[in-house]
Amino acid sequence: MTNNLTLGIETSCDETAAAVVADDNTVLSSVVSSQVDLHARYGGVVPEVASRAHVTLVAPVVAQALVEAGVEPKDIDLVAATRGPGLVGSLLVGVSAAKALSLVWDKPFKGVNHLEAHLYSCFLEEPELELPLVVLLVSGGHTILVSMEEHLQYLILGETLDDAVGEAYDKVARYLGLGYPGGPAIDQLAVHGQNSIKFPRPMINEGYDFSFSGLKTSVINYVRQHPEARTEDIAASFQEAAVEVLATKTKRAAIQINAKGVCIGGGVAANSRLREAIFDICLEEDLHPFVPSRAYCTDNAAMVAAIGWRRFRQDGPDPLDLGADPNLRLPCLSLMP
Amino acid sequence: MIILGIESATSQVGCAIGGHEGVLASVHSSRGRRHAENLAPQIDFVRKQARINLDEISVVAVDVGPGLYTGLRVGVATAISVAFGLGVPMIGVSSLDLLAYPVRHCTKLIVAAIDARRGEIFHANYRQVPGGVQRVSNPSVGNPEDVAAELLAHGHEALMVGDGAIRFADIFANLRGVEAAEPSMAYPSAASLVQLAHAKALREDFVKPSDLKPVYLRKPDAVEMDQQNRKHV
Repeated sequence: MTNNLTLGIETSCDETAAAVVADDNTVLSSVVSSQVDLHARYGGVVPEVASRAHVTLVAPVVAQALVEAGVEPKDIDLVAATRGPGLVGSLLVGVSAAKALSLVWDKPFKGVNHLEAHLYSCFLEEPELELPLVVLLVSGGHTILVSMEEHLQYLILGETLDDAVGEAYDKVARYLGLGYPGGPAIDQLAVHGQNSIKFPRPMINEGYDFSFSGLKTSVINYVRQHPEARTEDIAASFQEAAVEVLATKTKRAAIQINAKGVCIGGGVAANSRLREAIFDICLEEDLHPFVPSRAYCTDNAAMVAAIGWRRFRQDGPDPLDLGADPNLRLPCLSLMP
Repeated sequence: MIILGIESATSQVGCAIGGHEGVLASVHSSRGRRHAENLAPQIDFVRKQARINLDEISVVAVDVGPGLYTGLRVGVATAISVAFGLGVPMIGVSSLDLLAYPVRHCTKLIVAAIDARRGEIFHANYRQVPGGVQRVSNPSVGNPEDVAAELLAHGHEALMVGDGAIRFADIFANLRGVEAAEPSMAYPSAASLVQLAHAKALREDFVKPSDLKPVYLRKPDAVEMDQQNRKHV
């Protein structure tokens, strides 16, 4: 029996990506064209700039994904694209491209939830991960702690009440004059600093929700009051506070649901201190840690193709009148009190 | 030769199929700005009505703007993907050309005007020539008042066409010799697109999907502000 091939397309923010995945998780190609240089001078992603770039990049990126996978359009069994959440103008480019290809190649189309795709990025590299899992999804737009008891069934344990953790990184980095994107800049600087400043750990012992706005403000206030403080130390101390909150809650969740393993996903999962901390808590609690390679933490289309195939197998195709939904939520069983 | 034309640069979205025999089928919708939802099903509907298989399409034509950014991008991204997916060349046509073409029998100056939001219009001027129209000014974006002042200064008799002419009808209403085309012509039509593209296709005036670029006429706001800030420093 031949494999089922899915072409995935991802354009929810500032990466134009396409990938070909066989069955649930064998990645044949994964092409990402980052626009980070286009946005750096504006200190953040400019939606209109991103949308314009996606229009010119989407077909070349798809072409490259097919070539790298060594497959022809006739071999493709499903065309999947991220339909939300994200920037609406950007999402529409990928959804329109995928529906057009689905139409002209006469293949089914599946719209994908970007958050669900991130949850499944860990299975791309470790298909045999055992459930239940606790997944910490951390990016510039989201901070969500999820329990995955069964495939395609999730419980949201907690999420951020204000800023996403990546947003806090970007804002602190901007204040420190480190440029955009802020996450990697703080991560690199923190290596050379001391965790010498005691910043607050918001809500660290309360439930599973997060709050990073207060932490961000207290860092900014500290810098105002102590202009002489070393930027390296501020970066290290801020990072330590943010990571401690994330790791502590993840650990508590893993114990509560009796998880077999812990995964992280999303752009902030590329952060080296967070990756260390996840390994540490898993070692302490005898859990299986899974930290995807950096390429699968940040936005990519392999995870879109993978979840697209799983969803297609369970729920069937989507109609061609499906649009983008910038506020799409993670499909979940119910919210925990 | 079979041409698929995709038009989505205004609050209307539509497509048409045609070729040497003329336009075989076309569809448009303009309710509720559902470009992304409507376009792919429209293409499927039109090709079935025309009894054409998608792999018979030899050229994809698209309205490249200027127009409303989001709708425009849905059309261009769809058209590029159809052309790429079928391995066929493309033809890009200006939205303003598409407005002027159906009123080509008018001997006055033709002013095509598309509502650009923020109190502005995308506009260009045309003259009748044998078999069609010729653009006599570059497509630009500006205030309708300035366009009206220009017409007044030159004393042109003119026909205004497009949703920009309707939106700012009160500004143009008092100009002597200037009239507005009927509302049914307010949006670019996919059928006109197929007709104009057919002429270009006979001249093999093609672009590769990777070379087709939408015409925005405005820079993104952040880019505009950034450039102004740098100028003032």
